[in-house]
Amino acid sequence: MDNKIKQLRKGILELAILGCLYHESHYGYSLVKTLSGEGDITLTEGTIYPILSRLAKEGLIRSEWIESQQGPPRKYYSVTAGGKKTFEVLNDEFKKLAELIVDVKKEPEKKGQEKERKKILVKKEREDDK
Amino acid sequence: MTNNFSPSIEKIVNDYLKRLKLHLKGFPEKDKEELVKEVYSHIYESFVSDPTEDEIDRILNVLNKLGEPTEVVSSRMSTAMVSMGKKRKLPLYILAGVTIALFGVPLGIGGFAFLLGILITVGALIFAYYITAFSLVVAGWLGLIAAIIKIVDPGILDRYGIETMTFFADPTLSGVIGIVVSIICAALGFFMFWLGKYMMQGIRFLFSLPMEKVKEARERRRLKMVQSKYD
Repeated sequence: MDNKIKQLRKGILELAILGCLYHESHYGYSLVKTLSGEGDITLTEGTIYPILSRLAKEGLIRSEWIESQQGPPRKYYSVTAGGKKTFEVLNDEFKKLAELIVDVKKEPEKKGQEKERKKILVKKEREDDK
Repeated sequence: MTNNFSPSIEKIVNDYLKRLKLHLKGFPEKDKEELVKEVYSHIYESFVSDPTEDEIDRILNVLNKLGEPTEVVSSRMSTAMVSMGKKRKLPLYILAGVTIALFGVPLGIGGFAFLLGILITVGALIFAYYITAFSLVVAGWLGLIAAIIKIVDPGILDRYGIETMTFFADPTLSGVIGIVVSIICAALGFFMFWLGKYMMQGIRFLFSLPMEKVKEARERRRLKMVQSKYD
C-alpha cells in the first residue's frame, strides 16, 4: 500500500510542481514549502529534485542560479512556454480524473485524500488568479 | 563550501553531501556538482527557517525531512543516465570493450567456464535430486496399484506375463508386503520433496553469503567513516 501511495504521489507531484512554477518561479526549498501547504501532506523534500531535473531535461522548466542576500546562491526554476502549455493540458486531464474518483466514492479514506489534493490544487489556482 | 554553518553542523552537512556524491557515481561531473550545490542550498534554507533550538537537533530534523540521498537521486538516475550520462560515457565503454576483448577474453572465458561449471553442477545435482524424488513417488503409486491388483485378482498380471510382487508364494501376502513397500517408497519421495524446500533455501543462503559479506563490509566502512568524524 505504501508503495502505491508513493507512486500516486509521484505522478501528482510532477503536475503540482509544474503548477507551482506556472504561477511564479521558485527555488527548491520555497517550492517544497509551497507544495506542502499547511502541512497536511508530508513530503520527503528530496524527492522534488529528481522530478525537477527530469522536467528540465524535457525542456518544460528552466533554471538559473541567483545570489541570495544571505547564505549560498539559490537555483530558481521557472516554466518555459512549452511547460506552460503542458501544464494546461495535464491540469485539464487531472481535473477530469479527480472528478471521476470523487464520483466513484469507492473508499471513503481514499476519496478523502484525493479530494484533499484537489482542494489544494484548486485553492492554489484561485490564489494565483486573484 | 563556505562558512554558512558552525563547524560541527558543517561536518554533519558535509557527511550527508559526501554520501549523496557516492550515489551520483557515474554521473556527468557538471550534473553532480550542480545537484550537490542545490542540495546544500536546500539544507541551508531549511536550517535557517527551522525553529528547533538545539543546532544538532535542528540539522538532524532538516536532513530527516530532506530524506536519504537515495531519494534525492533515485529516479533521476534512470532518466539522467539515458538522456545525457550515456553520451559522455560512451568512449569509456568502447575503451573498456576493446580492453576486455584484447586481454580479458582468454582470462574471462576461463573464469566464466569455472563459474558455469559450478552452476551446472549445482543445477544437475538439484535436477537429479528431484528426479529421484519424483521417481520414488511414481514407483510408489505404480507399486501400490500393482499390489492391489495382486490381492484382488492375481490372475490378471500373470496373463499379461507381468512378473511382480512375488515375494512369497501366497499372492495376498505378497500384495500386502507390496503395498507397504510402495507406501514407504512414495512416502520417501514426498519426504525428499519436502526436504528439497530446505535444500533450496540452503543453496540460496550459500550463494547469498558472499554477497552479504561484501555489503556488510561496505556498510561497516561507511559507519566507521561517520563515527571518526564525530569523535
